[in-house]
Amino acid sequence: MDAYFKKTFKNFYTLLFLVVLSVITISLDFYHKKLNNIRSLITDIVIYPISYISTVPTNLLEVSLLESQVKEEMKLELEKLRKENVRLRIELQEYQAIKDENLRLRQIKKKVKKTDEKQLIVKVLNNNIHATKKMISIDKGKEDGLYIGQNVLGLKGLVGQIIEISALSSKVILISDLNHNIPSQITRTGEKVIVKGKNNNNELELIFVPTNTDIKIGDSISTSGMANRFKPNIPIGIVKDVINEKEKKFMKISIKPLENIGSASELILIWNTQKTKKKDNITKKTNE
Amino acid sequence: MNNFLIISITIITSILLTMVTFALGSFAPDWILLTMVYWILALPKNTHLYTSWFVGLLADVAYGSILGVNALTFTIVGYLIIRAYKFFRYLTIYQQTILIFLLLIVKETLNLWINMILNINDYSYGDHYWKTITSALVWPAIFYGLRSIRRKYNVI
Repeated sequence: MDAYFKKTFKNFYTLLFLVVLSVITISLDFYHKKLNNIRSLITDIVIYPISYISTVPTNLLEVSLLESQVKEEMKLELEKLRKENVRLRIELQEYQAIKDENLRLRQIKKKVKKTDEKQLIVKVLNNNIHATKKMISIDKGKEDGLYIGQNVLGLKGLVGQIIEISALSSKVILISDLNHNIPSQITRTGEKVIVKGKNNNNELELIFVPTNTDIKIGDSISTSGMANRFKPNIPIGIVKDVINEKEKKFMKISIKPLENIGSASELILIWNTQKTKKKDNITKKTNE
Repeated sequence: MNNFLIISITIITSILLTMVTFALGSFAPDWILLTMVYWILALPKNTHLYTSWFVGLLADVAYGSILGVNALTFTIVGYLIIRAYKFFRYLTIYQQTILIFLLLIVKETLNLWINMILNINDYSYGDHYWKTITSALVWPAIFYGLRSIRRKYNVI
């Protein structure tokens, strides 16, 4: 009987010790953000290989589909792409002229805004890494110089931002997540609005838009660059529906995003050099 | 060594299953917890409480929650199993399923409490409990599958 009690007490003390340990880790992680190293270590050693394995079947499927495509189809595709390339080149020439003109005008105003060139194409490892949040993981990490808050774009518009980095992979929160808000503007009028996710990859909404705002179906919405998180003038979506009720203070506006959020297999990361420059200035000042 | 290898392989498989079934959203069964519950039921040792804490930490990283939340709930579930394993082993599989269902309700409620204390909003209050039903439904498969593995590789 004594031995039995000893054993149960031993279990109980172990439980107590582990509960205290968990409370310590929770408070360290939540209030002080001290455990990011441990999290990224576990991600690199355990979670990254597992998630890599979990994507093997879909990758194999893609490869086999590619190989099974008929030669003729490939030729057609090549021709199509060549045509598109020519069209894009012509467009690029026009764009270059406009860019030069813009730069000249800005120089007149003594406000030179250089567009940053550094960008990186990343592969999406997993489209679904959280049960309730809209998050994806990508195959580049700290070693490629990513930073938290970096903007993630698709070919047509904004997709999300980076919220967690480990050495080999990182996590992107999509703009369709319920807790995600973007400071943005109506491109036609320049009015500042906030875009909020609805947990739906095909629909976003504008919040806190007063009823007397000038907004129409078909207006395009882009980022405003306020708060320095997102670069200005990245396209987000097009106004799909405007509901204006007289008794309410704000309008109900839904937006159709330009990009296929959450289903892309390749994404583009851009570097906000302005922001890093600002940081450098601050560090220089503090050093002085 | 053999034990360690087999147990870690099954737990890694459960993490893999979790990642594959993220697409199911809140209906995805709690594979990691079920695997851990089976191993503690089969080998009710004191040291396995530490194992369950570590597995909970892995689950935290896999789920993307605050480090320590799942570690805490996994340890508490492990402790309950260690205290009641003799009773648990004499039940039929259907009775076990019901008990697992109740255990998972306790675990999810604890998780929700911690989230509420920390003011984390998931905006999906009722949805948390769908997981308990699906997990209870896959318990017989986990139980018989892991038992055959345990007998084949003689894990004691």
